[in-house]
Amino acid sequence: MEQIEPFAEGFVLALAPEFVLVIGLFTLMIVPNMGNAKFRIPLTQIRVPWFFGGKRGKLDSDPRLPGLFATVFFTIAFGLTATSFVNGMVKTQIVTPSGTPMLQIDEFSRMFELIFFGALALASAASVNRLPATGRSDRSPNGLYNNRRQVDFYVLLITTGLGMAVVALAQDLFMLFIGLELASFSTYVLVSFMKESKEGTEAGMKYFIVGSVASGVGLYGLSLLYLWSGSLQFTELSAAFAANGMEPLPLIALGMLLVGFGFKVSAAPFHFAAPDAYAGATAPVAGVLATASKAMGVLGLLRILLTIASPEATDGSAVWLVALGVLSVITMTWGNLAALGSTNPKRMLAYSSVAHAGYMLAAITAIGALNWEEGHIDMSNDAALVVVTALIFHLTVLVCFKLGAFLVLSLLESEKGGHTLESLGGLAKRDPFIAVAMFIFMMSLAGVPPLSGFVSKLLVIMGIVKVALLDVTVNSDLVFGDIHWVWFLALLMVINSAISVFYYLRVGLVMYFHEPEEGREGPLPKGSPVRFAIIACLITTIFFGVGAGHLIALCEAAANALVGAW
Amino acid sequence: MMAFVAYASPAARDRMGPSVRMATLIFSMLMLVLTTAMFFGSNYIEGTKDWASLTFGSFNYEFRYVWIESLGIHWSVGMDALSFPMVWLTTFLLPVTIVATWNEKNAAIYFPLVLMMGGALIGVFVALDLFMFYVFWELTLIPMFFLILKWGGYDRKYASQKFFIYTFAASVIMLLGLVTVYFLQPENLSYAGAWTGRTFDIPTLTAHAQSANAGGAWFLGESLQKILFVMLMIGFLVKLPSVPFHTWLPDAHVQAPTGGSMLLAGVMLKMGAYGMFRLPLAFFPHAAEHFQFWLMAFGMVSLVWGAIVCLGQTNLKKMVAYSSVSHMGVILIGIATMQPLGWAAALFMMFAHGIISPMLFAVCGAFKHHYHSMEIGSMRGMAKHSPWLATSMMFAWMASLGLPLLAGFVAELMMFLALWHFLSAEGWSVLWMVGPALVLALTAAYYLWSMQRTIFEGGDETQPPESLKGQRVPDIGDAEKVAMLILAAFTILFGIMPWIALDMMNGWTVAFFETLLIPILGGA
Repeated sequence: MEQIEPFAEGFVLALAPEFVLVIGLFTLMIVPNMGNAKFRIPLTQIRVPWFFGGKRGKLDSDPRLPGLFATVFFTIAFGLTATSFVNGMVKTQIVTPSGTPMLQIDEFSRMFELIFFGALALASAASVNRLPATGRSDRSPNGLYNNRRQVDFYVLLITTGLGMAVVALAQDLFMLFIGLELASFSTYVLVSFMKESKEGTEAGMKYFIVGSVASGVGLYGLSLLYLWSGSLQFTELSAAFAANGMEPLPLIALGMLLVGFGFKVSAAPFHFAAPDAYAGATAPVAGVLATASKAMGVLGLLRILLTIASPEATDGSAVWLVALGVLSVITMTWGNLAALGSTNPKRMLAYSSVAHAGYMLAAITAIGALNWEEGHIDMSNDAALVVVTALIFHLTVLVCFKLGAFLVLSLLESEKGGHTLESLGGLAKRDPFIAVAMFIFMMSLAGVPPLSGFVSKLLVIMGIVKVALLDVTVNSDLVFGDIHWVWFLALLMVINSAISVFYYLRVGLVMYFHEPEEGREGPLPKGSPVRFAIIACLITTIFFGVGAGHLIALCEAAANALVGAW
Repeated sequence: MMAFVAYASPAARDRMGPSVRMATLIFSMLMLVLTTAMFFGSNYIEGTKDWASLTFGSFNYEFRYVWIESLGIHWSVGMDALSFPMVWLTTFLLPVTIVATWNEKNAAIYFPLVLMMGGALIGVFVALDLFMFYVFWELTLIPMFFLILKWGGYDRKYASQKFFIYTFAASVIMLLGLVTVYFLQPENLSYAGAWTGRTFDIPTLTAHAQSANAGGAWFLGESLQKILFVMLMIGFLVKLPSVPFHTWLPDAHVQAPTGGSMLLAGVMLKMGAYGMFRLPLAFFPHAAEHFQFWLMAFGMVSLVWGAIVCLGQTNLKKMVAYSSVSHMGVILIGIATMQPLGWAAALFMMFAHGIISPMLFAVCGAFKHHYHSMEIGSMRGMAKHSPWLATSMMFAWMASLGLPLLAGFVAELMMFLALWHFLSAEGWSVLWMVGPALVLALTAAYYLWSMQRTIFEGGDETQPPESLKGQRVPDIGDAEKVAMLILAAFTILFGIMPWIALDMMNGWTVAFFETLLIPILGGA
């Protein structure tokens, strides 16, 4: 394990993807503003060209430029993160001069960064010529927001990425919160970006207010933890928890942190802002919320529940076990039932996000049910490894099909559709390829083989069942009561999957069976970046379903980095 | 060992209907030639054994390829005497279906979908790995959903959704049961995955279950075995379908297009029975014995209920659908008798019904196509102007009700014999057989009566149905004639010479009983 101090040797190389994003940030702020301004040297009449400001050229003022830049930089960051997995990864820590680790670069954090950068790259590709100046469906450069406002959008996307990267790398709660807040504030503004429309501002306000309250509660919990233990380092907190974790103060703090991160993950009952936020934001931003933001929340939950209040802190079952179990059941059921009644496709996808969050919470509950006594540690470690791998796999492939579904909706938004289910009507006639892609995304969300959504659901079920059966020795005297109650979480998950098929199928039905709406008969608007992104999502959805082995191995390496540290 | 990759299903979305149609026909006929060759192959290909003498647990034409190593998932295929008749049936039905629905609209998408359906079905039957089995099991849902949705009847939206969601819900419960069984195996059996230490391989799991069930011990303990048995059976009972889970079938069948119904009734329903043989009965024989009464009850109720409801129908296709439910009841009774004869009866009924039922649905489709109406009462004196259709309909109904020398009779006779054995062995009154027998006789009478009305009555003043609005009444087209002829020929073939298929089915059931059941259940 290497330890590097900030700005010491090897610092930039270790944090290469993040530095690429910072460079991208500055490029975005500077390049579209470069013009033909001249700077007059004082006391002379010599004018020196000074490129900041002035009348901008054709290339600079092109509204598509910031989008292209942002996509390119996100792709470079993604590529750098991916290549860091090649040839194994040396765990590197960025430490303060006194030796306390602030950031840690290992497979686990890099895996989550892959998720974040991938989702953001796809979303920014999808927004390249999608941001309208007015509500017209004019997609020419004249119809888009002017260049500077575009820059705002992409700058916010990059800061979201940076915030998420810090969350992934953080090794103490305060760094985690800084990153979390950076990303959250950026997403608040992104959600309300369509300020001319009523839905945009309303969505932004709701999301901002609820999010701030949740963050506030989380921050208060954090401060209570600091009060109790004197440090916010993960390692020191987990030692303190192991020593005397059953006092009221840390437990209350834990509950508050759960509230804070529960909002991010859109767990019930903290999810109320999610449907409105997803419906009012532009579809790519909603997609980022549904995938990357959720991954960020799960990351925070994993850090808190598994590292700090780690299950071995108590005897045989974690302190948060029952609470999380109940939460997961409420979340999945609520999400599925509410989605059944939704007629707005983005709202429906928001509720399906809530349901998927429920499945993931069920997986985390399963880890809490493990028995960490002396003789059991190896077995429990194995089981925890399976569950965390399943979680990471699920979050990764969610990017593929959930973001893909939102990207298809963004195509519809370009013609002012996408708000009602009927606007999807007859898509099979208008654009067969997009209809097939959307149907595949829906089937993957439902968990139909052989797509990646099925493999991820299967992995989660396998993880939960493995934990439930861990204490069971296979002989002829088994009774059903020998199985731990988390097995019923798997049963509920399976039943909820069956319920969810209805609304996913409904989308397919509308696309293939209904006629197109009035005024929507022609083909869908053009837009090659978006279609390219949709194709990428489609290929990965199918590929990780059929050939999931490599991704599972990758997620396992990531899970090992987290679990192995216990 | 042949790599059985013939079921790569093409999903080409061409604009060129007729050439796609011909291409799918040629491809499906090639597959049929391949499987028929496999039937005779034991004489010529080294390493394959004669189908009838395969020992339990060994398979012909096996192939294995590592798929997801870490979880113990392999692309493992092979056929034994249980699955081979089903595979042959599927490859037989594919060209017949294509020919029978030769003039379907939107051919460029319809025929590839039919082929995809066939591919998924074959995949279910040859899969020897639980993961693969489940993937193909669910894969059959999507082509059928689209077939019903795009080419179906007036209520196709409701029917396709009901079909998909109902069977999907049952399958996911089965999935949870399968995953639970997966984790309850000891570590490091053969083909176990590197990461979980366990395998999805069916023969390995069957062998393990067999050894764990030996003597009087219950594999996985009594209560757990019963619960897992129920969970697995839910998936298969809904697929079969057995009363009371059958309500998706009438809707799906009535609204499905002819080709969809032919494959649905011909093969897809048999997936349920096949799955029962392959999984719950092999893993949990003690629980099967425990629930024998319930299975028998379900079977009897299906038989009787299906037949009686059938009597009350005026819609021809619904009548056929309920007769399918009734025949599936015969299969379930055969399985529930837990006798080698009964199981062979069930297997042969799966096979025979798979030939007869598509013929019935082809007849329905022709009826609808030519008379634009599905009501039985709308037609009178068909024999006068549509002799081919009339003959086909008559033949199909005779086969369905079990006329001797046709394939259905063999199955029903065996079922009744096995039922008699079962009743006397269990000490129940033989009068229980009277119910099913009477019902069968009653339905035969009803079919005859309705056929007499529709086909023969009227003499010279035949009434074309009003739905034709005075146009000249056509007979069935050439393509349909060919399909009906082929189906009729094979029905007669397997009626006169049932041993072609029955030998291997008998061999399999006897092997199953000798190696698995009798040592475990003690000669019940």
